[in-house]
Amino acid sequence: MGTATVEKTAKKSGGQKEKIKKAYIEYVLENGSRPASIFKFVKDLKIKEEVFYDHFNSFENLEKAIWLGMLEETLDMITAEEVYSDYSAREKLLAFYYSFVEVLKKNRSFILQTDERSKFPGMTPYYLESLRKRFKEFVQEILVDAKESKEVVDRKYISDKYDEGIWIQFLFVVHFWIRDDSPAFEKTDAAIEKAVNLSFDLMGQGPLEAMIDFGKFLFQNR
Amino acid sequence: MKEQSKIPTSKVQRAAKFVKTGAKVGSNYVKHYAKKVANPNLSKDELHEDNARDIYNSLSELKGSALKVAQMMSMDKNLLPAAYQDKFSMAQYNAPPLSYPLVSKTFRQSFGKSPSDIFESFTKEAVNAASIGQVHKAIKGGKSFAVKVQYPGVASSVRSDLKLVRPFAVRLMNLNEKDLDHYMGEVEEKLLEETDYQLEVARSIEISEACAHIPNLRFPKYYPELSADRIITMDWVDGKVLKEFVKINPSQEIRDQIGQALWDFYDYQIHTLKQVHADPHPGNFIINEQGDLGVIDFGCVKVIPDQFYEPYFSLIRKDMLFNPESLVKRFMELQFIYPDDTEEDKNYFTGVITDMMDLLGRPFHQDEFDFGDDDYFKQIADMGDTISKSKKFRESQKARGAKDGLYINRTYFGLYSILNELQSKVKTTKPEWAMAV
Repeated sequence: MGTATVEKTAKKSGGQKEKIKKAYIEYVLENGSRPASIFKFVKDLKIKEEVFYDHFNSFENLEKAIWLGMLEETLDMITAEEVYSDYSAREKLLAFYYSFVEVLKKNRSFILQTDERSKFPGMTPYYLESLRKRFKEFVQEILVDAKESKEVVDRKYISDKYDEGIWIQFLFVVHFWIRDDSPAFEKTDAAIEKAVNLSFDLMGQGPLEAMIDFGKFLFQNR
Repeated sequence: MKEQSKIPTSKVQRAAKFVKTGAKVGSNYVKHYAKKVANPNLSKDELHEDNARDIYNSLSELKGSALKVAQMMSMDKNLLPAAYQDKFSMAQYNAPPLSYPLVSKTFRQSFGKSPSDIFESFTKEAVNAASIGQVHKAIKGGKSFAVKVQYPGVASSVRSDLKLVRPFAVRLMNLNEKDLDHYMGEVEEKLLEETDYQLEVARSIEISEACAHIPNLRFPKYYPELSADRIITMDWVDGKVLKEFVKINPSQEIRDQIGQALWDFYDYQIHTLKQVHADPHPGNFIINEQGDLGVIDFGCVKVIPDQFYEPYFSLIRKDMLFNPESLVKRFMELQFIYPDDTEEDKNYFTGVITDMMDLLGRPFHQDEFDFGDDDYFKQIADMGDTISKSKKFRESQKARGAKDGLYINRTYFGLYSILNELQSKVKTTKPEWAMAV
């Protein structure tokens, strides 16, 4: 499969950081669990413990960085595409998910390992915390444009929660992908398509808008 | 999670969808009989319409193979009440579109390039919906292409969808469970084939090359290097689809010319190639101003086995129908009757099927046939109606008719009704061996 292979842009200063991430993923894959201690981990890696602390302060922190890295890689990938700037908000979010699952695919075994350790249905697991922050920024960016172009309707109180809703959708997509056993994860593709369409249909001018309008009218004219 | 509950993705959810529809159909019946108490003259039209709407609505949410089944039922115009027919023929025009990012992803997965890397221009939106995919128009080097992209996950859901459709098919098509098993395997096989775009490209090329000599017929060129598991690239075919073409009220001469091209195309496939484009759906034919018939979509091809071809097509010889001994032998071979049937059953089925074959074979019994003859089509519809109401057929413990006949009958129904819509007069050729009457 010829997925656009985006070279991991290991910046010079980030070289060590990437090396640690990679070694950690490898360790978890081979041993099925986290290293016993940071001391043991850096010793095997033949780096000094303080180098580890220069970048991370715990394994939790490291895991967060791994997930954040996957998100950053995805964002680099989609914004590098020429058509991206012409996309509507709906299409931008779709493009994000489709590329994100491609990136996830490269790390599937690792993700399945982590997923097993944390039983988190519905809740945001700790290792997604950094990713969540960056993802929300991305979604905010999209939504600002979408509100301008009227693709998404600005609704008092409710529209502040849009990004929260899309975060739940993000968790849904990741979960669906983890459980997906169809060839080339094509069911995940279908799930993404449907989930994003639903969310934008809800956020756009539609029945919800009419309901609020009607409710307001009744309230004011009783 | 809210999103999840809205999308029928898992098998359980899809099943739930059908159960809901079943309940609705049930309540439509209640409504109908309640109204009937008040008004004994009430016809069943409204009931059929209510049922068609509810069933259609739930099928269209499922997409994929369920949609295909709906489409298939819509094909057999004469076997279904008119209300079902109208609703189900929407199936091919009303599919939720794939987003451009998904199309682009499918391209990257197949070719490592996005559509805009391959073509100079590529429509972001679909220009046409196919039942399991959609069509985009692309341009490269001044040439236009039609690019068909398949929805993800269709192939893998065919089997489970068919299991879900099963109870519906029993009710809708008035088939008993036994008949259904007999035919369902055949349908499943064809549906799975239809999701295989590589196979479709190979067959399209094979059949269009073999039929290239037939006058007034044209085929798009296919590009295997730009086709993949879920993508087919072919030349763009200019013209109008049949329904719209008829609206511009073409001359009788043009109607006959197109009808003849269509007839010759099927005659050659069935009797010479022994494999046939088994989806004569009006949307699969595109007609240009000169009256050339363009054929697209070879997703559904039925290969005709000899042990079916021989007995089945011997029935187009009128003399066959009046030779009771050989007729019974043929009907046995075609599984219309069985050696262990009672004498009464044997006589009944032989009689009805002889009448049916006489009627359906009528175009073959003369040199030229006018498919514009609506009276003929009314007779077919009446016969279909009689058979679907027949207690004998309903209660038969055995499947009546070989499974190979399913798609062949469908092909002829499709062919006849397109010719009827065209109001064409056609020289009904037949193979040499059948001439000796």
